Amino acid sequence: MSDIVHLTVDGKAIEAPPGTLLINAVKRAGIEIPAFCYYDGLKLQAACRMCLVEVEKTPKLQVACTLPVAEGMVVHTDTPTVHEARKGMVEFLLTNHPLDCPVCDKGGECELQDMTFRYGFGESRFLEQKQHIDEKQWSAVVYFDRPRCINCYRCIRVCDEGMGLTALGITNRGVLAEIIPNEHDHLNCDECGMCIDICPVGALTSGMYRYKTRPWEMKHVGTICTHCSNGCKTTLGVRNDEIIRGNNRDRSGLNGEFLCIKGRYAFDFTHHAERLQSPLVRRNGKLEAASWSEALAEVAKNWTAIKQRGGRFGVIGSTRTTNEENFFLQKFARQVLGTNNIDHHRSGDVPTLLDALSGRTDALATTADFYERKAVLIVGADLSQEQPFLAWQVRANVRHHNAHIYVATPGPVREDRVAAASVRYQEGGELASLENLREKLRAEPELVVAFGDAIQGDAVRQLVNFGDSLGVPVKYVALLDYSNSRGALDMGLLPHLGPGYHAVDTPGMSLAAMLADESLDALWVVGANPLGRHVLAASKPFVVVQDLFLTDTAEHAAVVFPAASAYEKSGTVTNLCGEVQRLEAAIKVAGTKPDLEIFGLLAREMGANLGIWQASKIFEEIRGSVRGYNIPLPILTTGGAAQTAALNGHVPAPPRAERIQAAHNTLFTSGSLGQFSRTLQVVLEAPGALYQGR
Amino acid sequence: MKRTTLEFRMPKVNEVLGSAAAIVKGMSVTFREMMQPTITDLYPDAPPEFEERYRGKHVLQRDENGLEKCVACFLCAAACPANCIYIEAAENTDAKRISGGERYAEVYNIDYSRCIFCGYCVEACPTDAITHGHGFELAGYSTSDLVMRKEDMLAPVPEGAHFPLLVPTAVAGGGGH
Repeated sequence: MSDIVHLTVDGKAIEAPPGTLLINAVKRAGIEIPAFCYYDGLKLQAACRMCLVEVEKTPKLQVACTLPVAEGMVVHTDTPTVHEARKGMVEFLLTNHPLDCPVCDKGGECELQDMTFRYGFGESRFLEQKQHIDEKQWSAVVYFDRPRCINCYRCIRVCDEGMGLTALGITNRGVLAEIIPNEHDHLNCDECGMCIDICPVGALTSGMYRYKTRPWEMKHVGTICTHCSNGCKTTLGVRNDEIIRGNNRDRSGLNGEFLCIKGRYAFDFTHHAERLQSPLVRRNGKLEAASWSEALAEVAKNWTAIKQRGGRFGVIGSTRTTNEENFFLQKFARQVLGTNNIDHHRSGDVPTLLDALSGRTDALATTADFYERKAVLIVGADLSQEQPFLAWQVRANVRHHNAHIYVATPGPVREDRVAAASVRYQEGGELASLENLREKLRAEPELVVAFGDAIQGDAVRQLVNFGDSLGVPVKYVALLDYSNSRGALDMGLLPHLGPGYHAVDTPGMSLAAMLADESLDALWVVGANPLGRHVLAASKPFVVVQDLFLTDTAEHAAVVFPAASAYEKSGTVTNLCGEVQRLEAAIKVAGTKPDLEIFGLLAREMGANLGIWQASKIFEEIRGSVRGYNIPLPILTTGGAAQTAALNGHVPAPPRAERIQAAHNTLFTSGSLGQFSRTLQVVLEAPGALYQGR
Repeated sequence: MKRTTLEFRMPKVNEVLGSAAAIVKGMSVTFREMMQPTITDLYPDAPPEFEERYRGKHVLQRDENGLEKCVACFLCAAACPANCIYIEAAENTDAKRISGGERYAEVYNIDYSRCIFCGYCVEACPTDAITHGHGFELAGYSTSDLVMRKEDMLAPVPEGAHFPLLVPTAVAGGGGH
């Protein structure tokens, strides 16, 4: 059989590999065959019959979405018969479809609307009463309007194949056919909203976006989700300085069209009523609103005094602030405050992994590897809950490439369903459990290993040794918690490591040590809430907090600065695989300032010169000085993801090994920030088995 | 300089008659118009009259129940070449029903400092909610006075309509679907 098939479409000679579906083959020749139910990457349905074409030597019109190309095939897509067929199909689809486009949320970006304009009759011949069924609410974020549905099964397929959930099904037949949720009258699912996005009509609509605006009224800003560490691009629809919706229909970014509930809906914290919009200064034991100049002066005065009498500073950075901010913060701490007591909430042992893989150039996995490599091993993580995009990639890999998935977790996870083998372990038995998979893994041509905080310190080196002993190329990734957890590590928010994992002369105190230090004089917390979990041992430290909300930590503060969220600033973030992407400011919330600007103003108030506090300028500095960050700018500026280079050289271990404890957020939690997202609070939670009782 | 002499010439009879006929003809128009009702608008002493299709200040119509016809589809704003229409939509509930459709315009502003009275909005409206009225006294002392709100443009509630149309609270407990 030849490698290429020759066919003629509308008089044009086309070549395509054998097995290509006709609907895809003609696209390359610039010919469009309209279709509703056909969807790239999902199983074939052939339900809508919109893609009928004429194929010579066949008696009837053929369905282009299920027809593989054949040698010598002659196809006509532009004949009166085909036009007539399309008109008929559109007319059929509109039989019961209400013509309520003016109030339908899909109006303006509706595939049925577009197709009717392009291929339809233009007027209706049906005089009969249309069937009406009332709209149903299936969950806080999913609404279903039966009459608008055209039964293309896209939602069912994306939920079943893409999400691995099967939360949607179909009941009845013919005109009575209806999509139904898994709990009869409501949904019990990930609430990811993929079904809403993929719906070609307005049958499934979003509770958040519902009736708020029309698509053409919004400004669309592509930025990176601030929640988990996967680094999905979310395109925010903005109107009047308010984010109205998030989706990624343009498939830009490494996540394509995928978004979980957090990326799609959990932007609503930006306009939460409790959002801080003015600096707060503690006067007579109470936090009171103050002007920026008062608050800045108060901080500078105290810090200068503490520095002069040789007091102890502690700085806790954020896992959601940008690389530029993290870089500037550690520079501030080390140069202006003169301390190495800087840390952040660590969630994965990246430094040890980079040290163990030092000198190897192809041992760090990208998010794309989870889709492309032939085998994936997941150790100690409920991927579908904690790393939703990686889980999506894994499922797609199984579906499209028959990849083999191996799972080693303490309890059952969703990946078990697609796994070639799963093993369970008791805490501490992670590495021992992998021995049961050794023979199977050895037979794989290549492997990607993703591991959670269960593997840390020496166990990381043992895991790499295990990978080496398999004799196949292995790539690794340490799973992390938040959007810039990786960036915080790379930028040196660590007591013993500076930017690029270079050792510092005298290691400072770690986060736990700072909080336990009774003689701490000043604590500076940027976008973190350590006092939500820990107690501060020092009796009267001068606490400065930069945050979006009055967190448990901020309540202890002497001065609180209202910070801008990731959706309100520009800069770069690095995802768990070391892929750097750019943030785009979508809105501005009155009274807040980006953390970078607050650092800059504080530096100026202290009389220190740390250079210009502009994200682009600092990124130039990062590119020039931080190991691995000399990434090509064109990729970044065009909205792409550029992976940082692997390290070549020793990364010193911390002076005292400390337990790294990840937050293990589910799909419905996102640390302190999750408490301020109404959507995350109101949906019916369906966490995986690993989280039962948590 | 050469002097010219003015010569007197007796008019011909037909010229006399012609002149008299012209005067009669002219005066006949005058007398006829004197008998006709006046067409001069006495504005501002009396309100002016407009042709039916005159494009004046917009009126947001109500249906026979007094519900607003506007369903906040934003098509008028999309059609507007001067970009002077601003809308914020909200959802109707059983307890608070403003329009006949699923949603209504919570905010509907027209900036008359930008409106060019082209009528595209009226043409675009799928529910005949926005029409041009005959209001024309739109001058103001500042441009912000020229931004009309929904309340400034809404048609009055028709006679006999129950507005606001509220479902009795016992039924309204469902709070929509």
